[in-house]
Amino acid sequence: MRVMVAIDDSEESFYALNWALDNLFRDMDAPPEASGGGGGSEVVPPTLLLANVQQALQHYGVPIGPVGGAAFYPTVTVTESVKKAQEQISATILSRALQMCKDKMVITETLSLNGNPKDEICQAIEQKHADLLIVGSRGLGKIKRAFLGSVSNYCAHHAKCPVLIVKSPKDHE
Amino acid sequence: MATAEKQVMIVAVDESEHSTYALEWTLDHFFVPLGDSCLFKLVIVHAKPSCTSSVGLAGPGAAEILPMVESDLKRIATRVLEKAKELCLSKSVSDVTLEVHEGDARNVLCEAVEKHHASILVVGNHGYGAIKRAVLGSVSDYCAHHAHCTVMIVKRPKTKH
Repeated sequence: MRVMVAIDDSEESFYALNWALDNLFRDMDAPPEASGGGGGSEVVPPTLLLANVQQALQHYGVPIGPVGGAAFYPTVTVTESVKKAQEQISATILSRALQMCKDKMVITETLSLNGNPKDEICQAIEQKHADLLIVGSRGLGKIKRAFLGSVSNYCAHHAKCPVLIVKSPKDHE
Repeated sequence: MATAEKQVMIVAVDESEHSTYALEWTLDHFFVPLGDSCLFKLVIVHAKPSCTSSVGLAGPGAAEILPMVESDLKRIATRVLEKAKELCLSKSVSDVTLEVHEGDARNVLCEAVEKHHASILVVGNHGYGAIKRAVLGSVSDYCAHHAHCTVMIVKRPKTKH
């Protein structure tokens, strides 16, 4: 089973990853037992795919600079440095997540994407043939969700595979 | 390492094909590959609508059809659970608890989560668009936001070619 976990820099998504590691990938270091009714088929351990999406920089109208008109179109250097910064952020997030997975001895692949998180995640699911998507949930109420947008909500309705929504404990006391 | 206590996974079933697909997918991915060493204890919950909520009218004659509606609903509930049990047995999953509760599916499922201290609730969904969902209501949406545990929504892939 290929499990994709959507990661960003929020605590909720790391909680979701932790939950997945604790509940779906338990006892990974134990030798796989041959299941009785399988006729000698090997137990294939589930694999993990970590996906981090960075929002792409808008290529218009970013007023940078103290004096009006200094930079209404981000220059190439600005775009480049933002891209580099995003790559670094993505790499940091993914390496932190990867470390957590390595501690549990799970076969992990990382994926760094650019663009609108909702679309990128759904596309990645199809491209990588994921069987399950795991997302955290920020616990937004109905109104906030409508205005701020909810990646987990969008994915639950549009992803082509089953979606598992992990709620962080501070949502309900 | 001693085997830890199993976590509880609740799968919601009704008479639709979507929930049968959801149960089958869950069995195939979580229970069949691991056999006896699976990580979860399976509880299957069916929410039986109360007959008074199914029958909208409250005029003369309602009293007569209520018992018929009630027995019909009971029959559906039994059939749903039997089908679920058969599906589990066909996949060699024998440690299953089956439950029926009367009431609205949303509340029944959230209460079942509390009662069993479940760690996952699995629901199918009808694949409604946003408008249908707003009008008809969506149990999977409600549970995804209100259940006090992780929720897994299993969708039937649309087969339109």
